[in-house]
Amino acid sequence: MSEFAIETRGLVKRFGQVCALDNVNIAVRKGEFVAIMGASGSGKTTLMNILTCLDTHTEGQVFLDGQEASLLDEDGRRNFRAEKIGLLFQQFHLIPYLTALQNVMLAQHYHSVTEEDAAKKVLEDVGLGHRMDHLPSQLSGGEQQRVCIARALVNDCPILFADEPTGNLDEANEKIVLDIFQKLHANKHTIIMVTHNPDLGRYTDRVIRLQHGKVIEEVQN
Amino acid sequence: MAASKQSMGRLLVIRSLKLRMRRVVIVLAALTMGAAIITAMAGVYFDINEKMSHELRSYGANFFVGPKEDQGTLSTTDYQHIVALLPEADRVASSPYLYGLVQTDLEQVVAMGVDFGQMKKLAPFWQVLGERVGVSFDERNVMIGSKLAQRLELKVGAKINLLQGNKRHTFTIKGIVNSGGDEDNYLIVNLSFLQKWLHQSDQAHYALFSIDNNMGQVSTIAQQLKKQFPNLVSRPILKVSASEGKVLDKIKLLMGVVALVILVLSILCVNTTLTAMMSERRREFALQIALGAPRKQIMSQIMQETLLMAGISIVLGLALGYVLAQILGHTVFSASINIRLPVFVLTVLLSVSAALLAAYIPAVRAMKVDPAKVLKGE
Repeated sequence: MSEFAIETRGLVKRFGQVCALDNVNIAVRKGEFVAIMGASGSGKTTLMNILTCLDTHTEGQVFLDGQEASLLDEDGRRNFRAEKIGLLFQQFHLIPYLTALQNVMLAQHYHSVTEEDAAKKVLEDVGLGHRMDHLPSQLSGGEQQRVCIARALVNDCPILFADEPTGNLDEANEKIVLDIFQKLHANKHTIIMVTHNPDLGRYTDRVIRLQHGKVIEEVQN
Repeated sequence: MAASKQSMGRLLVIRSLKLRMRRVVIVLAALTMGAAIITAMAGVYFDINEKMSHELRSYGANFFVGPKEDQGTLSTTDYQHIVALLPEADRVASSPYLYGLVQTDLEQVVAMGVDFGQMKKLAPFWQVLGERVGVSFDERNVMIGSKLAQRLELKVGAKINLLQGNKRHTFTIKGIVNSGGDEDNYLIVNLSFLQKWLHQSDQAHYALFSIDNNMGQVSTIAQQLKKQFPNLVSRPILKVSASEGKVLDKIKLLMGVVALVILVLSILCVNTTLTAMMSERRREFALQIALGAPRKQIMSQIMQETLLMAGISIVLGLALGYVLAQILGHTVFSASINIRLPVFVLTVLLSVSAALLAAYIPAVRAMKVDPAKVLKGE
């Protein structure tokens, strides 16, 4: 078993003539909380998409939980997403016609089987025990993001990817979300957070900084 | 508590439709209209032969039986045998025709002997001033062709005497016939009287029949009679029976074209609405794919939604189509339309095919959505 949850070797991603990622070599240990930072256009979202198997790379190697990603076909990448990772986005992507509880159970549905009790438990863990039967439109932004966190956690996936998770939240809700991340980190979850906010980087073990598709700095906190 | 995969699948299908009820109503309306038109048109199509055949009997006789050229007359005994051979359900009306010169107190005229009881159905196109003679054995009343009546200056209610040596028979003119044909020149009397008067008992020159031709029976009957009565000429009156076929074919073609046009319009409407619906739901599908949904499951979800809408539309369409068919039947044929089993099968098959065809392209687009781009808001 690899000690790394994520590892890239000589990772290159090109969109036509544009090189979005250029020889990126990073490694994230299991249980580590890492921030990937950089300005807009630095390649952090492209990197996140490749690491979450939503996109494929052009050259190099990507190891996800010890498995080389380029060997995975469409089904393999889908299974990896369903079984190994929890996803969190800046925009609160929830199915509008499902309640908070049903949105969480949707992740279970694509993972294995739906278990209402487990879904309720994880919603209670993020402080939404009283909002389970509400539709997304009846929840605040912070509450919606917490439903997304519950959905990302419900399958006990070992790696949590968060792309600008607090980008649309006010300060109070940002703190709630970061507190949840801290608890998860304490429970040995691997968390990879993409952000351009330097303040968030302080909550992590390490900051990987990208510029023009290259890793320019790695700072241990 | 573990729930089944199917229950979450059902939830996704039903809730997604509920959320977009306005668009769903448009799809339902388009599919229902398509199903209703198919039901109505197919209902009439499968029933039209029977209904139109009855309707077209107003064209008059469509079958002729007579002696071969060198064999004189047709015996009314043979005529009776032929009548007995014809399926009762198919025989609308028939009459032997006998012609002969008779002397009246005014001048010599041609008399035509017919079975008056049958003439209302056999020659429904006769325009009659006064009344028809309705009873076959009526020896007191006659009808007279309009041209002959004009020449003899006879009116309805006038008397006309037939003379034969010392014999005299007085008739009252009950109706003046205007057919646009030879009948307009004849004195039309009851057949049995004319046979006696002309001393030609059991004889007629030919017989005409009006027969339902919804299944092409006329040709079959002609062949049957040729075998059984080789000394007679038995043939369809092509002018009438072929017209029936042509009219039926044209009406069927028209109904087919109408149904096809409505179906195509319905497919286009459903396709446009579903395309808009799927476009609105791109983020939803992208999220499902990001969460690990197989792309074919997205396709399956959309197809299930479409089939659910199609199912509801088929039920509504069959009911509406039945009503439409009855309105058509009563307006055009003055009769109810029987909705037969093939109509149900056709409506279900065409409606489901139309719905799936309309949903196919939007579903493929939804299936191919790129979650990385869509979830990032691109």
